[in-house]
Amino acid sequence: MNGAQIFLWLLAAIAMGFCARRGALPVRRAMAETGQSLAKILPLFAVALPMAAFLAELIPADAASGWIGPESGLSGIAVGAVAGGFMPGGPFVTFPLVIAFAKAGAGVPQMTALVTGWAIYGIHRIITWEYPVLGWRFVALRMLAGLPLPILAGILAEAVGAVVPVTLGRP
Amino acid sequence: MPPVIALLRRHASLMVIAAIGTAAAVALWQKRGSGAVLEALLHAWDLFLFIAPSLLAGLLLAGALRQLLSPGALARWMGAESGWFGLLVATVAGTLTPGGPMAAFPLVLVLAGAGADRGALVAYILGWGLNGFQRLLVYEVPLLGPEFTAMRFLLTAWMPVLAGWGARRIPIAWEPPR
Repeated sequence: MNGAQIFLWLLAAIAMGFCARRGALPVRRAMAETGQSLAKILPLFAVALPMAAFLAELIPADAASGWIGPESGLSGIAVGAVAGGFMPGGPFVTFPLVIAFAKAGAGVPQMTALVTGWAIYGIHRIITWEYPVLGWRFVALRMLAGLPLPILAGILAEAVGAVVPVTLGRP
Repeated sequence: MPPVIALLRRHASLMVIAAIGTAAAVALWQKRGSGAVLEALLHAWDLFLFIAPSLLAGLLLAGALRQLLSPGALARWMGAESGWFGLLVATVAGTLTPGGPMAAFPLVLVLAGAGADRGALVAYILGWGLNGFQRLLVYEVPLLGPEFTAMRFLLTAWMPVLAGWGARRIPIAWEPPR
């Protein structure tokens, strides 16, 4: 286990401790919800991780370096932000794909724009959740208010990268 | 709700990923043979073993926090007159909201009913979407690494507040649907 994992387990233990102080029922509920989440997530992982692994093998080693490589600058950041909006699902799909892109030569600022674009423009989530639950007016309001943010995130990440090198992927 | 949307909602991710994954596996098999497919599967298994401890801890943490927190209780600080403070409260509430879209979007309706204005609701949804703690801890740290996650969090943590401020100035009136 590495440092981040130990930290995460420590946080989980503390939160469970607070639950335990409220009695046995919250602890049981927390465990039950963990089990339900696992049951939902494991099938997704079972298809998402192999998909990303296949794609990583198929994408040529320098395929991403032109469009969204570290030298692609603002245009690469824009491409990343828009591509993020078209990611076909939740974090279990998007993040393995980001790893595949990074392996194929994508830059850190461009991937920052992609993850931010996925969070803000994500079309699959608008179609399946936001539009049916909240209506198109809310979608329009939120999209307009958030429109420049993924590009801004990419630009900021480029500025940070010039001072502190940031790596993407497994430590 | 049309049954097609209900079906899509429940299984859309799984179906889309499975379709892309199958196509990619076939393409890889044709290009480089079954050995390459097996090797890719081994890589995937390796990655899963690496993620599994963080995944379990993150889910336990989220399950426990769900018993301890209720973002809806913060709605009285998120009204139209709440200013920057209200946007900040909404952003933090969004960040603390565990779970996927099936949990977050219905909560927007709860918050709106409890008095949150459209700026606060936009800040809330972006706080959840950009930096929801559960996604950060369960997926982003294990998959993309702590360095990248920390940088992205620090760079975008304030953005929902800005978007909420903007949303209060965009002339689109929104009433929660009944």
